[in-house]
Parts: sequence; C-alpha cells; structure tokens
Amino acid sequence: MSSEFKYDPEVNYDEATMAQQRQIEKEVATKQQLIGPQEDLSQLEMEFAEDAVYFQKTKCLQKKYSHMRRTRGDGNCFYRAFCFAYFETLLHNRTEYDRFKDIAARSKEMLLSLGFPQFTLEDFHDVFMEVLEKVGSQCALDDLLDTFNDQGHSDYLVVYLRLLVSGHLQKEDEFYSNFVEGGRSVQEFCSQEVEPMGKESDHIHISALTAATGVSIQVEYLDRGSDDSVIGHVFPEGTTPQIYLLYKPGHYDILYK
Amino acid sequence: MAMEKRLQKELQALVNDPPVGIKVDADQIGQNLSEWLVNVDGAPGSIYNGEKFQLQFKFGSRYPFESPQVVFVGPNIPVHPHVYSNGHICLSILTDDWSPALSVQSVCLSVVSMLSSCKEKKRPPDNAIYVKTCSKNPKKTRWWYHGKQCYHSEYKTSLLGMSSMGINT
Repeated sequence: MSSEFKYDPEVNYDEATMAQQRQIEKEVATKQQLIGPQEDLSQLEMEFAEDAVYFQKTKCLQKKYSHMRRTRGDGNCFYRAFCFAYFETLLHNRTEYDRFKDIAARSKEMLLSLGFPQFTLEDFHDVFMEVLEKVGSQCALDDLLDTFNDQGHSDYLVVYLRLLVSGHLQKEDEFYSNFVEGGRSVQEFCSQEVEPMGKESDHIHISALTAATGVSIQVEYLDRGSDDSVIGHVFPEGTTPQIYLLYKPGHYDILYK
Repeated sequence: MAMEKRLQKELQALVNDPPVGIKVDADQIGQNLSEWLVNVDGAPGSIYNGEKFQLQFKFGSRYPFESPQVVFVGPNIPVHPHVYSNGHICLSILTDDWSPALSVQSVCLSVVSMLSSCKEKKRPPDNAIYVKTCSKNPKKTRWWYHGKQCYHSEYKTSLLGMSSMGINT
C-alpha cells in the first residue's frame, strides 16, 4: 500500500472495484474448465510443495483416493461437482438411475406446490431432464463432460439443483430454521444464499441436497486442522457414500477412489 | 440462444396474461429483445395510487443467469426512500439476490410491492451525492442492503469514516 487513502466524493470507486472483480472472474474462467479432466491425485501434492501442513494432508488423502477432477471456482462448484460426479456414476448403474429419474421427474411438482413460478421453473427442469435422458442413453463420458463444460447447459443444471435445495429447506422449514444464521427466516436465507447463482455452499446446502435427492456423499475437508489427517464427513450421516468431494476452504473438487 | 428464447417466452406471457397494473409496451421492443419498457401503476390503497410509472429493462447476453438492468425512466420517477431521482432502484433482487428463477414479471411485482409498503414519500438520504457520482448503470453500484435501509457503498464507507481507516481501494 503506497500512500494513505483519501476518500474523494467526486470519484466513482464502485466501477473500479467491480471492473477488477470481473477481471478476476475472467482469469479464473480461462484457467480452469467448469469440470476439468481426471488427473492423478499426486498433482495436488505438487501444488502444496511449499506448505508443510497441506502437503502432509494430501499425502494422507492419497491413501484413500487415486484421482481427482478440478472444478471452476465460480461459487457454483459444489452443485456442479455434485451433479457431474453423480451423473458419472449413473452411466453404469441402471437401478440407481431409475430411482433418481423418478425423484427428479416428480421434484417439479414439489417445487410448484411450494410456490415456485411454473413459468421459469419449467425451463430449468426440462434441461435437467434432457441431460438425465442423455445419461440414461449411456452416452460417452466425454459427451457428458462436454455438456457440463458448455456454460449454457451447465448453468441450467446448477440452477435446478439450487431450486431443489431451496425447495427442500422450505419444505423442512421448522428443522432448518435452527441452522440459519443472522436472524433470517429460511425463506430469506433461500432467496439470499441458495437461489442466486454464485453463492457458495455450506453444510446446510449439502445436507438439503443429499436429503432431497437421496444421494449419499462424502466430503473430505482439507484445512488447517490440528493433526495430519483429513476429516471426512458423510451426508446424510450413516449412509454409504456414492460420490466423494474434496473441500479446500471455499472450494469443492471431485475425488475418485 | 438461451437469452432470446427465454425473453420471447416472458414477453408472450406478459402480453397475453399481464398482472393487474403492469403492461409491457410490446411495440417498443426491438428485434433482439434486449431492451423493454414496462408501464407500472401505483397500487390502489398505496400512497402512489393513481400514479403511472415506467420501468426500463436492459438484458445482457447472460440473462437469465445475470440480472437485468432495471431503472425508472420517463417524467414520473417515484419519490421513495429506495428510488434515486435518476431512476436507480436499491432493491436486492436486482443485484445480489437475483436468481435465474425470477423474471420480468416478478421484478415488476417486487417493485410495486416495494412502493406499496412505503408510508412517506421521500428520497434516499444519499440521493444528492449518489446521483452526482454514480455510473449510468445501477448494476455498477455496490449496494448495501441493510434491513429497511439501503445505501450505495460509498455513502456507507463515508459513514464509517473509511478514510480514517486508511483502506486502499
């Protein structure tokens, strides 16, 4: 920081700040695909070569997992990582596919009954079901990857999952109201922290999405916790995980055993 | 293209089945649908009863994933604590809380509801300085939504005495 800041009421600081923010978003977008290719987990170790705590923890992580896929840090990474990792497993699991397709098909009525506008909901549901059909036709993995990396399609999927989370939270309003911070109602929380694009996900979002879809996930938390181990949480508790995500503060990637 | 397809659908619905007090001027809308004018009536029973307003919507190519730019235009800008005299509106769904599940119709209804809950016609406390320094595009303002209060960020930072904190923007 060079000279001391002096507030000048004639200057528009907002534009400068926001231009800088857009520039950062653009850089992130050119560097990282929405869903990246599968890579060896040892790549992560190299990333943290300079950081003893994280380095040790990635070593530990490699005992349980072999590969990872990076996702773009655009605030939607949890939804996109969840959706891709799960759809990838559905390519080879007909029973699970049929179960989920039924839930997905019926979810639209659930959301409509909660008062979501049919008009906009329909579009997102339609595209979600279209992509699910594609998974059902056992399309090639590369084909699925292309769909998730096409922002147009990909964001429709993210929106639909956001609405599912919002719907579930509102349906179970009494329970979740205990976990909403800042003296807000569940509905306010949903319109501020769930439905808008780019709003990051926390335990409450993960808990709602896994409950709404009946999909079990394990999240490995890579943070500065005290010992060398990486703590894994299964949502919902006590279930057998179908997909694995890696959490580094503020970001989710996909893990493979 | 997603944006045009979606706007086409929204326009059709607003023309065929408009909510009470909201009327889109379909003839004004150009070929690519990127700019609309919507006529909005002050709600009966509110202090804006009988007044007529006009909202201008501008849509970017990332709509509905990014919010539209919405301002009051024309001869009658409502006098309201969240509406600046240049037509800019401080309403969270227009920036931070925008969701792709919202629409032109839901924005109009939120604006009418914002007007209807007002008991006294007055401008925002920071109107003069904001109108003087703001960008033409209200989305380029960092709004602070704080309960019933609403500020643009420079007003807030000047309130907080930001200069004394030596923060470098």
